[in-house]
Amino acid sequence: MRRTPHRILLIARRDYLATIRTKAFIIGLVVAPLLFGGGFLGVALIENKPDIKERRIAIVDGTGVVAPAVIQAAQEMNAKQLFDTATHRQVQPRYVFETLAPAADPKLQRLELSERVRREQLFAFIEISPAVLHANPHAAGGQDSTPAPVATYSNAGGLDALRRWLEDAIDEGVRRVRLAQLGVDQSRLSGVLAGVKVERFGLVSRDSKTGEIRAAGKKNEVAEFAVPFGLMLLLGMIVMVGSSPMLSAVTEDKAQRLVEMLLGMATPFELMMGKVLGALGISLTSSAVYLIGGTLALAGMGLSGMLPFAVYPWFYVYLIADVTFLCSLAAALGAGCNSPQDAQQLAIVLLAPVMIPYFLIAFVMQQPNGAISTALSLFPPFTPMLMLLRQAMPGGGVPVWQPWVGLLGVLAFTLIMVVAAARIFRVAILLQGKTPKLADLVRWAVRG
Amino acid sequence: MDAVQISNVTKAFGAVTAVDGLSLTVPEGSVYGFIGPNGSGKTTTMRMISSIFYPDRGDVRVFGKQMLGARSELIGYLPEERGLYRKMAVQPMLEFYGELRSGRKVTAEVESWLKKLDLAKWAPQKVQALSKGMSQKVQFIAAVVPAPKLLILDEPFSGLDPVSTDAIRSAILDLRRGGVTVILSTHDMQVAENMCDYICMIFRGKKVLDGTLASIQGRYGNDTIRVAAEGGMQFLEGLPDVERVRDLGQVQELRMARGCDPQQVLRTLMARTRVNSFSIMKPSLHDIFVRIAGPEAGEAQVA
Repeated sequence: MRRTPHRILLIARRDYLATIRTKAFIIGLVVAPLLFGGGFLGVALIENKPDIKERRIAIVDGTGVVAPAVIQAAQEMNAKQLFDTATHRQVQPRYVFETLAPAADPKLQRLELSERVRREQLFAFIEISPAVLHANPHAAGGQDSTPAPVATYSNAGGLDALRRWLEDAIDEGVRRVRLAQLGVDQSRLSGVLAGVKVERFGLVSRDSKTGEIRAAGKKNEVAEFAVPFGLMLLLGMIVMVGSSPMLSAVTEDKAQRLVEMLLGMATPFELMMGKVLGALGISLTSSAVYLIGGTLALAGMGLSGMLPFAVYPWFYVYLIADVTFLCSLAAALGAGCNSPQDAQQLAIVLLAPVMIPYFLIAFVMQQPNGAISTALSLFPPFTPMLMLLRQAMPGGGVPVWQPWVGLLGVLAFTLIMVVAAARIFRVAILLQGKTPKLADLVRWAVRG
Repeated sequence: MDAVQISNVTKAFGAVTAVDGLSLTVPEGSVYGFIGPNGSGKTTTMRMISSIFYPDRGDVRVFGKQMLGARSELIGYLPEERGLYRKMAVQPMLEFYGELRSGRKVTAEVESWLKKLDLAKWAPQKVQALSKGMSQKVQFIAAVVPAPKLLILDEPFSGLDPVSTDAIRSAILDLRRGGVTVILSTHDMQVAENMCDYICMIFRGKKVLDGTLASIQGRYGNDTIRVAAEGGMQFLEGLPDVERVRDLGQVQELRMARGCDPQQVLRTLMARTRVNSFSIMKPSLHDIFVRIAGPEAGEAQVA
């Protein structure tokens, strides 16, 4: 027994060095965040390359008065939104309009205009019926079953920015006509309808040493959403990258008969824990690179105040626990597999403790201290991800006892998993030719 | 002291009993050979001695101590299947294995063994660049660094060319001269006859033979005739009191029935053809193996 720690460390060191010296690890260190964060980066890049081609829109105006007001409102919006005020670059397409009177045969007119849209002579066309001038308090809420007084026709996608832009222009134009009909002074209108600025703050507190009342900090939407989300995303990514390869690595070692050689020199427990520790080292290396890199990057942008430094130690505690229990589980499952194909089928089991919390992000962020969020974050397999998310939310108000209780649960769960996994590993690692059933795994985990 | 004492050990895997009530002792400093058909329980027994498997029942002691799952630097183990890190260089891998077993740096021992087995120039090469014979020698080094007191070798010569076989055989005998106890399993009966001080045959999980070669052969007596006769097999059919004839090509082995007179066999044979050599001897280990585990054993059981 006295050599056990030395053997564990020796196996861990070998596995660690064998991994971090590979090109795959170094490439993965770069590729993994790109894969996880690539979506956001992609959106940002696409937003910087908008389609600014001129868009022609025909308005079939059944009122005779609304089209000019809509066109005027659209031109004012064009003037305000067409160019980025800082860079003077055009950031959205210019909309130009033509007005048509309703034809005797509306169906035929719609068909002709649709053909022009198909031939790309028009981007879209709008029909405005006289009913638009009669204000209906229920129409906007969608509770009225009467036909909408304005219809737009285009073959653009449902999420196209045109729809929102046009609706704003039509709303504004129609509102002006209605107000003019009521005799309201247009020049005073913008001031009357201007939105009210609302600022959000955290809570005021008293300094325990000086007794001075400290002003509440302003709430920052980026810090409220992006930082907890990013920290949880990072934890999940590192846990997955660190633990997933264990399954196939153990299966490969078994298939290549390395295991029996090693078992002549180390006990199954030493072998498994060495491998788990090696994977943990790899995860800690990755996390250090990402966390230090991210912190320095935000500090460089003057945003270090958004970082929840107090949560960093928890991040590492959760990371260690999560990687340890998932790697132990992976080693046990890998020991039971006879081929990499068997292992692939079991990979989903390992992803669950990371993927399920990902699906719960929106729910937990909306109600971080609700009963269900609290219960989910105290469920040991989910605690590392969900408790971290709650703790990282500024002013999240997680009661002090909850992270500690959650941690106790995680540690107990991890210990049970390691013991059970070691038992399964010892029995299964030298079995050949037969993939054990779930009942076998449970029996080995309980009885050894 | 006995190097290994196995007392009434049983090991089962599900419904299959791999080793069934086995007892044996391996004297210290000897070469002890396990023979037996595939699946007879040899590897399971060696894994239990190495503490890789625990017995379901019975007791395994190595140098008087129960191992109870612990690993000891006193035991070197070479599994039948070859397990090396293919992407590691030879010397660092051997140093890793050596340190794993002994808990100390073993650079000097590794270098010495690489020289001894003519692998020094391959030390910095990756394992995947080695031939099968070289890989086998590397794995052998992994089992003997640092010097064990008990060396367990599961099929150490399988798949080796004669040069590599000689190199490993010579190394094993050197270790034995240095006081190391060697347990090996083999399917090559000549290896068992020539190298082993004691031979144990396991068949269907049970010990069926155990002792020195002479004592084993002594149980069967001088019941074998080795003959080289012109015309070979065609003149050997129907000889009186001969139970079986085994054709070895240039010579044939005849197994005599109890009470058979070899002089009568010789006279009958000389009457049929010219006899170039005729010797009365104890049965070979191969013949004994086949008598126990071959088809005729099955026939005897059915009868």
